[in-house]
Amino acid sequence: MTVKVFFFGYLVDHTGQTEMEVNNISDTDALKDHLLKEFPGLVQSRFAIAVNQELTRENVSLKNGDQVALLPPYAGG
Amino acid sequence: MKEKKPKNVCLDGPIDSMFIGESIARHQTKTDIGAHHIFLGQVRSDEKEGKTVKAIEYSAYDEMAETEFHKLREAAFDRFDLSCMHIYHSLGVVKAGEICMFVFVSSKHRDQCREACNFVVEQIKANVPIFGKELLGDESHSWKVNQ
Repeated sequence: MTVKVFFFGYLVDHTGQTEMEVNNISDTDALKDHLLKEFPGLVQSRFAIAVNQELTRENVSLKNGDQVALLPPYAGG
Repeated sequence: MKEKKPKNVCLDGPIDSMFIGESIARHQTKTDIGAHHIFLGQVRSDEKEGKTVKAIEYSAYDEMAETEFHKLREAAFDRFDLSCMHIYHSLGVVKAGEICMFVFVSSKHRDQCREACNFVVEQIKANVPIFGKELLGDESHSWKVNQ
């Protein structure tokens, strides 16, 4: 199974890309661990996680086709 | 309260003062309105890392931002007695001194629209995934974070 991951704001400075696909990740905790290993710059970064546009604070199971966004603090207004 | 369809909130580039003026003028036919409250967000030339912010390049998680704008709009209509409300936010580059957000709330009486306008502005800052890259006039940048 594949999930699509989107990066925004200053997180892009650390990942060098705005989106990527990740395979065979069961939940958001596992995805976070995977991304922190792949992009060590994220370790120091504050971000929230949204799954299919819904913010989640808890670990959420992922299924094929889910969209996960890593969102740094907002700056609208 | 009838369901309102999501509206396009995000505009490319700064919000022109003519557009703001024309928006006010369009309400002259709505004679049940007794009060408008308007909030304009303007890009500030803060000092960052010994340099001056020349512009902010706004970006958003578009789909989620439109959903959040719709939710806060519904919440404002549920919570306050409003005649109408318009929200616009810039994406892309907005120079220091230019307008990046325009919230326009109308009601029969001033108290409701003033409170609603404050509510909407605070909700946008807290809940809408918009990000601001502060351009410092050379190749460098910093990132805006709402206080």
